[in-house]
Amino acid sequence: MTGAPVVELDRVGRNYRRGDEEVHALVDLSLTLDSGELVALVGPSGCGKSTALNLVAAVDRPDRGRVTVCGVDIATASENELVALRRRSIGMVFQAFHLVPHLTVEENVSLPLALDGRRDPDRVLDLIDRVGLGHRARHYPSELSGGEQQRTAVARALVHRPRVVVADEPTGNLDSRTGAAVIELLDELRRSEGAALLLATHDARVAGAADRVCELADGRLVGRRS
Amino acid sequence: MILKALLLRPLLRRPWRFLVTVVGVATGVAAVISTIAASRAAIASFAEGIEEVAGAARLEIASPGGLPETLLAELRPVSGDALVVPVVEETVLLLELGDGVRLLGVDLLLDAEVRPVLSGDRELPDLDATLLGFGALVSRRLAEDLDIAAGDALSVSIGGRPRSVEVAAVFEADGLSAVWERVLIMDVAAAQELLGRVGRLDRIELVPRGSVDLDELRVRTDALLPDGLAASPPGERRRFAEQMLASLRFNLVALSAISLLVAGVLIATTLATSVVQRLFVVSLLRSLGASRARVASVVLLEALGIGIVGGVLGVAGGFVGARLALASVRFTVASVVRGIPASEIRFDPQLAALGLAIAVVTALAAAVLPLMEIMSVPPLQGLRTAPPQRMRTRSRLATVAVLLAMAAAAAALARMPAIDDLPIPALTAALVAMAALLVGSGLLLDTLARLGHAPFARLRGAALQLAAAALSAGRRRAAWAAGSVAVAVALAVAIATMVSSFRATVEGWTTSGMRADLWVRPLAAGTGVWVGRLDPEIVTIAEELFGPETADPFYSQTVAYQGRPVSFAGAAFDVVRFHGSVPFPGRDSAEVFDRAWRERAAVVNEPFATRFGIGEGDTVRFELPGGVLEREVVGVFRDYSRSHGLVVVDRSDFLRFFPDAGPDDMALFLPPESDAGVARERLLEAVRGRFLVEALDNRELRAAVLGAFERTFSITTALYLVTAVVAVVAVLTVLLTLVGERRRELATVRAVGGSRGQVLAMVVSEAGLLGLAAAAAGTVVGIAVGVILVKVVNLQSFGWSLELVLPWSSLVTMAVWVVATCLVAGLPPALVAARMQPAAVLREEG
Ligand SMILES: Nc1ncnc2c1ncn2[C@@H]1O[C@H](COP(=O)(O)OP(=O)(O)OP(=O)(O)O)[C@@H](O)[C@H]1O
Ligand SMILES: [Mg+2]
Repeated sequence: MTGAPVVELDRVGRNYRRGDEEVHALVDLSLTLDSGELVALVGPSGCGKSTALNLVAAVDRPDRGRVTVCGVDIATASENELVALRRRSIGMVFQAFHLVPHLTVEENVSLPLALDGRRDPDRVLDLIDRVGLGHRARHYPSELSGGEQQRTAVARALVHRPRVVVADEPTGNLDSRTGAAVIELLDELRRSEGAALLLATHDARVAGAADRVCELADGRLVGRRS
Repeated sequence: MILKALLLRPLLRRPWRFLVTVVGVATGVAAVISTIAASRAAIASFAEGIEEVAGAARLEIASPGGLPETLLAELRPVSGDALVVPVVEETVLLLELGDGVRLLGVDLLLDAEVRPVLSGDRELPDLDATLLGFGALVSRRLAEDLDIAAGDALSVSIGGRPRSVEVAAVFEADGLSAVWERVLIMDVAAAQELLGRVGRLDRIELVPRGSVDLDELRVRTDALLPDGLAASPPGERRRFAEQMLASLRFNLVALSAISLLVAGVLIATTLATSVVQRLFVVSLLRSLGASRARVASVVLLEALGIGIVGGVLGVAGGFVGARLALASVRFTVASVVRGIPASEIRFDPQLAALGLAIAVVTALAAAVLPLMEIMSVPPLQGLRTAPPQRMRTRSRLATVAVLLAMAAAAAALARMPAIDDLPIPALTAALVAMAALLVGSGLLLDTLARLGHAPFARLRGAALQLAAAALSAGRRRAAWAAGSVAVAVALAVAIATMVSSFRATVEGWTTSGMRADLWVRPLAAGTGVWVGRLDPEIVTIAEELFGPETADPFYSQTVAYQGRPVSFAGAAFDVVRFHGSVPFPGRDSAEVFDRAWRERAAVVNEPFATRFGIGEGDTVRFELPGGVLEREVVGVFRDYSRSHGLVVVDRSDFLRFFPDAGPDDMALFLPPESDAGVARERLLEAVRGRFLVEALDNRELRAAVLGAFERTFSITTALYLVTAVVAVVAVLTVLLTLVGERRRELATVRAVGGSRGQVLAMVVSEAGLLGLAAAAAGTVVGIAVGVILVKVVNLQSFGWSLELVLPWSSLVTMAVWVVATCLVAGLPPALVAARMQPAAVLREEG
């Protein structure tokens, strides 16, 4: 299942300063993600997975090279273009869930729509049902288990029908069974919505479900498997 | 290590947080210190000055209107046991200084044993020069201020008459009370002549020799004195002065107490938030094995640091503020008692220590709440997603019940009578009302959030909805901010209500009660304080110029009525019965005075009537120096110029009991069709070169009265400023905290599609909602407190009944202003939030 690439990283570099030392978090990373494709990023801790994902999610900009997401050049786009990109075309799932604690499940899920000045209660409730939280819609995150929180995050990442979903170790805080269920759900939903999924993980089983696996080490791409 | 993690690191990384807290503490302390220092300087120093000037004298004989000098001879039998010292004392206008000074006429040869300035170990100035002519001793400080030396001449205005005094010598007043810096010391005979009081003394002091028994001396002295005179300790006169100033002083103390309350709330807010910010670190450390006591001690240490730094800054600011406030307090004091209150704020280590103590104690007390929160923090768990702090129905109901109970208590207290003439229950009612704001602010925010939080019902206001939700989630903290802003607003609204009611009432009073065409008074000091009286000759001059039935001189003396000081005054009833004067509610002023004139009756002011329970038809009885005077009261008039009792009789009655030392001032009712401006010119021309007086026409007089009124209220107006500072500091602290706490959430909002503008709008909306809630609640409570102040406190402490006039336009302005201030205060935290890098934050916060 391929199409035109929705995400394209071309010899991307990203450096951080840590005191006087320059950290090369990404070095010449090239990568594409086609429409509807699931790509897994694997590699040891500190190899640059999150850095790459943040670039794709348009919350960070590269120092070198080009990152194009849905035709928008992340390095040169205006702040407004990035915001529009995030709220229309990208969905994000985090390792630590990052739900807004004082919003209910329903409100958390509708947040991307609300921020865009849209509302679609049917879609929101439908998604909540599909992640199996129909009976929890009016609960607050603090009243949910980790798995339920992550399922809420999954619904939130997909509610606005993004073309790309970025998930940074979505199973990292979950036990393996719950984690597997969340991945299954995420995969199933994004397939039915036709979204591409870029996933960072340590979990070999999770990576196994991917169309392609890219392995990073020290900010470089060191291997590809399909 | 724990110290570093909890205290030093956060302090160094976010120094503004500490600074904001310190500013909060400093503001509160400064408000308290400046009120106390200013009122102390003006009031206490005035009263203390009485004893200071009395020196070693243990007993004194004094009488309103003075004593005949011949009394000295009659006291000769006790002169073996006590030094008998004649004293003449008056406040005169020192023209070079542009301010009043105390003119003290003493027996310079005797006085070395009485007063410290002239006593033994100080180098005695050459007395010969002083004894000859009008020579005066002045303090080194005054001499330096005026750049004068022995041999120079000084001009003083006495009863409006300019006189020259020669500086005979300069004395050192180092280490003595500041009172001595504003004293001219002369020989008693010269002072008598200068003041036009030959043969009369203001008091006779007794300095016991050796180990003479004071009580015995007193009994023996009293036996020698004519009826109506007795010896008493100088402290009595001081008590008298203090009683006259009691209500004024109480008001100032109440103001300081209120500032302290506001300061306390502010400190608690800032401290609570700064502790709460570190909950995460605290719980982490706890889970790593730090004991509660350890963590608590760090929090207390921080409170201590904030208290000390804020206290020191506040004390410094307070003394500066006192300097600004002094002019107004001084003016008020001078209009109540004859005399010159201190003109300078001196650094007072005791007061400074008090300020520091207040800051530290308040900071430590304010730390209790956050400490409790810290103690209840479980080791790291459940912290990741703090549950929103929604109020349960039960606690909502409980809060409502408490609020109703507080309202009932406030209403009951407001109806209670004053205690010792002081409106303590009513002010307590006001405090209860204010406290209700703190109790109710949580409920208020919760309700507001519930309203604003109809789940994303409207599409547009996502930012607003998020703000409401966030506020309700951080309710406990936000409630503190809303509470302290609301208290500040309530305070300002109450004061505005009181001031506007006052202004309206006084305006009406000046219109109906000030009918004279011209008003003559001695030249005022540069500070606006009037000094001394008018020379009696000025009355004669006016009567010759405009006719006998035009001049209404007002004579007064402070006398005791039922053991308490009141003003006893004489006015020209034969004149005002034609024109009317002070207003009697519902009656024609001229008619009342006509009756008082025909029946030889008295009129009293409202404070007198309230204080002594006297009404029309009652009789007042005075024991005056020359005998007893009994008069029926035929009217109670409104009087907003004094808070102590005033009884007015016809001047012929007054002058039977007191020598004619001249009137305080004089009203002139010109013949019909005469021009006030022309008349004024004629009068000033007639006295030119002989007297220094001011003559105001009707319009100017009213303006002067209103001006005096404005001045009296300038301190209270300064509280507006405090309000603004409180609002800004509270909102700033709390929002910065909320923003800091919600970094993760804000970053998430950004990551899932929120723009910078939306995050900015969200945080600013939170500030706006806080401000709105605070303004609404504060205005409601403020009006209630204002009504208590106007209708109860004023009546009880000053004896004034005021019309209630709500300053609608300033209330609206104030509410708008508070919300605007909150919005502005919300801007820095909003910018912090908007500038956040979502990727970095999410990484940092996991
Ligand atoms: N803001 C930053 N400042 C300094 N260094 C950073 C920053 N963000 C990332 N790094 C460094 O860049 C490198 C890559 O970090 P990144 O978070 O992308 O790794 P990762 O592959 O996601 O690791 P993990 O599997 O542990 O999540 C690391 O060496 C990290 O220390
Ligand atoms: Mg990572």
